[in-house]
Amino acid sequence: MSSSSAPIDWSPMVIGFAAGFISRLVSIRTGRTHYPGYPSGYISQLALAIIAAMIGASVIVSLVGKEFTAATFLTLAATQFRDVRSTERKTLEQEEHLILVGRGAGYIEGIAITYEARNYLAMMVALVTSIVTQYIGVVIGGVVGIIAIIIGEIYMSGPKVGDMIEVEPAKIHFEKGSLLYVGDVMMMEVGLPHSRERYQKEGMGVLLTPKGRRGQSVLWNVAQRQAISHEAAAAVGTQKDVGYPEQTPLCRMDMPKGSGRAGLSILPVEHNMEALIKAIKNTPVLESGKWSAVTSPVLNRKEME
Amino acid sequence: MADAPTPVMFAIVTTSKQAVIGGMAPVFMANDEPERDRIAMWLCRITNCIAHDLHNGTVVLTVNQASSS
Repeated sequence: MSSSSAPIDWSPMVIGFAAGFISRLVSIRTGRTHYPGYPSGYISQLALAIIAAMIGASVIVSLVGKEFTAATFLTLAATQFRDVRSTERKTLEQEEHLILVGRGAGYIEGIAITYEARNYLAMMVALVTSIVTQYIGVVIGGVVGIIAIIIGEIYMSGPKVGDMIEVEPAKIHFEKGSLLYVGDVMMMEVGLPHSRERYQKEGMGVLLTPKGRRGQSVLWNVAQRQAISHEAAAAVGTQKDVGYPEQTPLCRMDMPKGSGRAGLSILPVEHNMEALIKAIKNTPVLESGKWSAVTSPVLNRKEME
Repeated sequence: MADAPTPVMFAIVTTSKQAVIGGMAPVFMANDEPERDRIAMWLCRITNCIAHDLHNGTVVLTVNQASSS
């Protein structure tokens, strides 16, 4: 940077960069179950993390050094991170046609937004840390950096399905010859005797009961239920291939009654009820599922009474 | 995603001739129920469709438009 003024103090930049980069590393570890799942995905995320932390950390140094052009260019560089979301979305959408149980558009959007936001978070952590280091001191700067990482981590980890919904095992059976039931929730009509046998022998069923109003509105969301069945299939596997549409894992509401509960039926590869319930409970609550309680018929009915 | 795709009736497999009249889908006649189920299963696996039992001797095969398997 400038050579005419006083020598530059590099410590805010170094500490800010470290804090921003660590905050991104921490969230890569916690987001591991969804995406990325392979080394090349990590590399691209790490490269973005380095750039984001670098931008956040160097703003204050360039401002103090009276390099306003540099600071302006840094804000320009920050806007480039808008593309992260659409890149993530494109990758996941292309994958959607290639996997047997899709994530659903809502889940994809949620993952994409989270990845974009995490880069901005890394930038902000770096910025805050470098400002504190610049004006107060290296030690306090380091402490503030650690606090910022922790706050960011708490803030970014959203609610899980298990927080709002009770998940319990239920029996799979058939009524009226061909209607597949999980507990007392009707799932679908299975016309082929071969598939019915398969469900009776190897199928697993789970009942989802909402704990409260939030849980109900979450469960009425179609995208949320698709995300739940994706996570369930990812956890215990699914006996399905192209050409076997009736063996898809399903998550449906208790519909003619509209009691607000849902059932999930799946033909697992591995009979592990614990893993299935754990996977469902750990499914993140989607942003599109958070918005409205009015969409739930049960809640509306209560208000009409 | 928000709503189920419109199902298109692809074929009808039946054991009772008088249960089905005309329509745009081909009708496959079977002599008894095991044969009917076997035909239905073959057609399902070949065309990626879903079988629905109407419980009057007829099985209806439907394909979802914009097949997402």
